[in-house]
Amino acid sequence: MPELKQFAMPDVGEGLTEAEILVWHVQPGDTVALNQIIVEIETAKAAVELPCPYPGVVRELHAAQGATVDVGAPIITVDVAPDSPEAPAPETNSVVGIPADSAPHPESDSQQSHDVDHRAAVLVGYGPRAAVPTRRRRRKPLAAQPVAATSSEPGTLAPPPVRKLAKDMGIDLASVTPSGPDGTIIRDDVQNAALSGVPAATASPGTALPPGFDPVTRERRMPIRGIRKMTAQAVSTSAFTAPHVTEFLAVDMTQALGFVSRLKELPEFAGVTVSPLLVAAKALLVAVKRNPDINASWDEKIGEIVVKGYVNLGIAVATDRGLLVPNIKDADTLTLAQLARSLTDAAVKARAAKTPPADLTGGTITITNLGTFGVDTGTPILNPGEAAILCVGAIRPRPWVHQGRSSPARLSSSRYLLIIGW
Amino acid sequence: MSQITLVKGLNSGLRKALENDPKVMIMGEDVGKLGGVFRVTDGLQRDFGEDRVVDTPLAESGIIGTAIGLALRGYRPVCEIQFDGFVYPAYDQIVSQLAKMRMRSLGHITLPVVVRIPFGGGIGSVEHHSESPEAYFAHTAGLKVVACANPADGHWMIQQAITCDDPVIFFEPKRRYWEKGELGTSVAPDPLHSARLVRSGTNCTVAAYGSMVKVCLDAASVAEAEGASLEVIDLRSLSPLDMETLSSSVRRTGRLVTVHEASVFLGMGSEIAARVTEQCFYSLQAPVLRVGGYHTPYPPARLEENYLPDVDRVLDAVDRALAY
Amino acid sequence: MTVDGSAKAVSMGDSLASFDSEFVQLLTPEGKRAEHPEYFLDLPAEDYRALYRDLVLVRRIDAEAIALQRQGELGLWPSLLGQEAAQVGSARAVTDNDYVFPAYREHGVAWCRGVDPLDVLAFWRGVSHGGWDPSEKNFHLYTVVVGAQVLHAVGYAMGVQRDSALGPDGTAVLVYFGDGATSQGDVNEAFNFASVFNAPVVFFCQNNQWAISEPLARQTRIPLYQRANGFGFPGIRVDGNDVLACQAVTAQALRTAREGGGPTLIEAYTYRMGAHTTTDDPTRYRLASELQEWQGKDPLLRMRTFLDHDKLAGQDFFGDVERESDELAARVRSGCVSMPDPQPSAIFDHVYAERHALLDEEREQFTAWIDSFEESAR
Repeated sequence: MPELKQFAMPDVGEGLTEAEILVWHVQPGDTVALNQIIVEIETAKAAVELPCPYPGVVRELHAAQGATVDVGAPIITVDVAPDSPEAPAPETNSVVGIPADSAPHPESDSQQSHDVDHRAAVLVGYGPRAAVPTRRRRRKPLAAQPVAATSSEPGTLAPPPVRKLAKDMGIDLASVTPSGPDGTIIRDDVQNAALSGVPAATASPGTALPPGFDPVTRERRMPIRGIRKMTAQAVSTSAFTAPHVTEFLAVDMTQALGFVSRLKELPEFAGVTVSPLLVAAKALLVAVKRNPDINASWDEKIGEIVVKGYVNLGIAVATDRGLLVPNIKDADTLTLAQLARSLTDAAVKARAAKTPPADLTGGTITITNLGTFGVDTGTPILNPGEAAILCVGAIRPRPWVHQGRSSPARLSSSRYLLIIGW
Repeated sequence: MSQITLVKGLNSGLRKALENDPKVMIMGEDVGKLGGVFRVTDGLQRDFGEDRVVDTPLAESGIIGTAIGLALRGYRPVCEIQFDGFVYPAYDQIVSQLAKMRMRSLGHITLPVVVRIPFGGGIGSVEHHSESPEAYFAHTAGLKVVACANPADGHWMIQQAITCDDPVIFFEPKRRYWEKGELGTSVAPDPLHSARLVRSGTNCTVAAYGSMVKVCLDAASVAEAEGASLEVIDLRSLSPLDMETLSSSVRRTGRLVTVHEASVFLGMGSEIAARVTEQCFYSLQAPVLRVGGYHTPYPPARLEENYLPDVDRVLDAVDRALAY
Repeated sequence: MTVDGSAKAVSMGDSLASFDSEFVQLLTPEGKRAEHPEYFLDLPAEDYRALYRDLVLVRRIDAEAIALQRQGELGLWPSLLGQEAAQVGSARAVTDNDYVFPAYREHGVAWCRGVDPLDVLAFWRGVSHGGWDPSEKNFHLYTVVVGAQVLHAVGYAMGVQRDSALGPDGTAVLVYFGDGATSQGDVNEAFNFASVFNAPVVFFCQNNQWAISEPLARQTRIPLYQRANGFGFPGIRVDGNDVLACQAVTAQALRTAREGGGPTLIEAYTYRMGAHTTTDDPTRYRLASELQEWQGKDPLLRMRTFLDHDKLAGQDFFGDVERESDELAARVRSGCVSMPDPQPSAIFDHVYAERHALLDEEREQFTAWIDSFEESAR
């Protein structure tokens, strides 16, 4: 019976995915010999002649002259057994060539040894496959890699996060019963061990006590001397002799932050640290001006409130050696730039242990900044002898109902808020 | 048992190989009359003749290429590349031909060629004489790569490399050439591709090869005085790696530090770290740490002590591992 | 002489070699026998007919392979069209004891050494990197890195010396490479090693005028055969389209090598009538006029004319050869399209002669991987 074979546009190895039919050298009904040149195609680089892979009679041309054909699309059908009498039964595609995926072609019940490849053509060889992402179905799951430890190997088995957990909890892994696969210890095992009072890890490399701990008492003693001792005394005295009341207030700093940016541009603030703290300090000074009685101290002996006519602004500075509160004398008389400079100087000196002793006494009101620690606010302890202290926290964007000068109050998705403890 | 230098160990090993098999040949620059710039082939041309111990033209690619041809004709050439930094002109012949011809020929062709390369620094030399190119070869399938660390291994491993039917890149730590060690010729040698436990320990495994084995042993002595017990492994074979010895050690100690002169980035330590992590994941108490050179060309001699891993660098890595 | 520095298509007129100087020729393009003071070839008629048959069959295999590539059955094919005489002539000078190193276009030499054309096609089909046993045919595998095999050939020849296998029945080594290869460092090192050690090797350079798109003028300022002088051994140029001259000159050079006379460089002056490979487009860099000129020098045509004119073969013979070439082509075609792919696990075969732990591990994992799928990948 007639046997039809198709020839698909081949990969001629030039990195192409398509070619143009330039001119057909045969027509349907023509007899063709093996390797007879049947068509000239034009690739992006040159004209190439294609030889026919089948001798026989041309049944059909699948693309017209001038048409652009994808690599892999059939271009000609040849009847290789044209003399047989019966009605033609279309042969399923015996694809010759390396087709791409985009052109339609018959179901490949292919008798060729290779299936339809999805390859892009390149200069030397068959070329890589065009991307048709799929995943083959797995017959059976790949066996998980067995944990290689055998019972003869010493040492506990646990993944790193579990080891860390055990270490942090002070649990000795050797006394934990593993319930994980292949004898490994899992998270629950450690937590169960902690609940049931498994002995804590004894000192060994890897579960060793941090340096300084007495291996017997498992305690570390830290003697307190110097600044720390004084601070401890002062703070305790203040906290337990002066009545402390703290009020909290949320302040919208959004405009203030803009103000800070603008200040930074000004020449008189060149080389000076300008921060919201500066603005808060200035605000405190303005508040004191309006409410002078707050800038006072209680004379316990005589029983009088002593209101100061000068403002020595204390600024709390955390140093290696402890908390120091140097004060800026007559801070209310300083310009903003001078105040900025003074604040910076005070902090720098304190950290360098160069604060003059005079700066550590005579303060009248204090500001303490917890914002650098990322803390929202706090309940500050009065500097002994003072009546008020301002604690400022971190400025964070938060949703806030904001009323602009000329706009109605509405919920803003974020305004920069400062929560003060006063 | 006698004390001999690494050079003498290699020399006597080569001599035995030449004696045992008439097809064994030595070829390279200055290997004949001079006996090699390090005297490793001293006396061999005098005793075995110019046809078997060949002074070649100054052409590394030519040396390896003709060695391939000789191997095709049935010989077992042992090539010498005079210094590590001069192997690169031969790299194409090694990687494109020597490594691949067997597979290319579906097993019809066997190329039992040995390429001896003195490697590493610490000899105060000029540029290109202190390189550590072993990773470029270990990364190439078809090659076997080994490194001896002491005279006995030099003596035995060179003979084993020569009788091996695969191409072997044989690294010799030139810094150790003149150091002495025991050569017990009555003891059966370890297999060519086995690692060796050279010092037992419990707290941390330290793995090295070539000149760094001694540095690690020194570090282990210092650590012992400080109260830490290090287990030291001489890898000996870089391709194939003896993962069994390495893994069983790490499962006992829980920690591994790798040490080599080659730069850390993409050095042998990286492959070992990945494999050990995979195979010993549940036994590891710390990540695998790698000690090696920096990502710089090898520095001038006056600076090389700062570049090469030393006892302090090894112990620093051990300390970091122990701190986990 | 000028050096061509332009990038445009060049014609023969721009190339350096003067065609008629120092050029051994025993058969003119017109098919007439020519005489040469140093070389002669006097064969019985059947040997001349055999040479012609070789030329025809070799050309036919080549043509069929190109068609197969155009039909997607081969990934790539480097055609030897125009170079049949250089290959057949030289290869037929090789004795059974000699050893041959090809580059990658020497399908004509492979044919003469008895390598099955399908084994050659397997390489270009991507079934293997080299499918025959070199020691069976004394014919090395194809080497794709240009010029690398020339060093291997010299090393082999040095081995022959050590085997004391020289002499009239001894072993000489013949190595093929092209004009482009002569620029490679390895080829120059090989010349040097061969010279210094007086190795029994014949260097056969098929100067087909082109290295892909680069003309001879890009590889040399002097005729290639003169290079040998610089290295201290003889060089000779032969008409690469003259199968008789190629055979005579190669035979002489092999004799010299076999008898301890050292290396010779033979430059076979020929032309690559086709493209560098089936992915190349020569119309971008050479002129049709050049092709036409060389068509007049066709190696098969002159041989046929010679056989005809000197009454060394009749129409029956030519008909038989035609038929045989058709049959051979059909066999090559059907063998190629039905060539089975290797098993996937073949990736891991023959990498090492002895065990390698990592390879074993990976092979095992790969086998499990392949087995884990319901259907195979391809």
